[in-house]
Amino acid sequence: MSQMCENGRGWGPKGPGHYALGGAAAGAALLLCGCITVKAPDKPIEINLNVKVQQEVVVRLQKDAQDLIQNNPELFPQ
Amino acid sequence: MTRKSSLLFAALGLAVVGLTGALLSSGPALAQSGAVVSAMAAGTVGEQADGYLGINGSVGADIRAEVESINIKRRAAYTDLAAKRGVTVADVAAATGCQTLANRVKQGQVYRIGTGGWQTKGSGPIALPGYCATAN
Repeated sequence: MSQMCENGRGWGPKGPGHYALGGAAAGAALLLCGCITVKAPDKPIEINLNVKVQQEVVVRLQKDAQDLIQNNPELFPQ
Repeated sequence: MTRKSSLLFAALGLAVVGLTGALLSSGPALAQSGAVVSAMAAGTVGEQADGYLGINGSVGADIRAEVESINIKRRAAYTDLAAKRGVTVADVAAATGCQTLANRVKQGQVYRIGTGGWQTKGSGPIALPGYCATAN
């Protein structure tokens, strides 16, 4: 990167008539050097949701379980 | 009445006797679940968080057989519901266990959560397993 920045300055004005153009080039080079490199992680990101899913399933089944008990009183002596 | 028709009636009569016998033989099964009710009151049989009845200590062979019979029927009912809802049998059984512990175990009866020991229900509600969440 820094090597490229040095080179960037090398694109500067070659004569009085080229100041504006040279300035723009230098600005672009600075902008380029300002970029931040973001690397993707090597490993996939894992999120474990098994526990949560199990709980939601059981909660969702509560009404069914109530009905099952009421409809089969001989299976649920008290 | 011809001989043929009287034979037919005799056969019908036998069928009726057979059917009545079959109906009557289900009588003792009901009486046995009365034994399970007594065992539950005595604290030798109780509900478990896994959705099945369990035996606490030693019980007679008749009670043990009845508990096993009830558990087999429960498992069949759980299996049906699990297939309807697309969940596992264990999920349905656990959800039912939440219900029995929350709403059916009476004060003085025993219950068991997980691999823990048998506990006797006091005057307050049973501390349910975390996955029961809003069971009531």
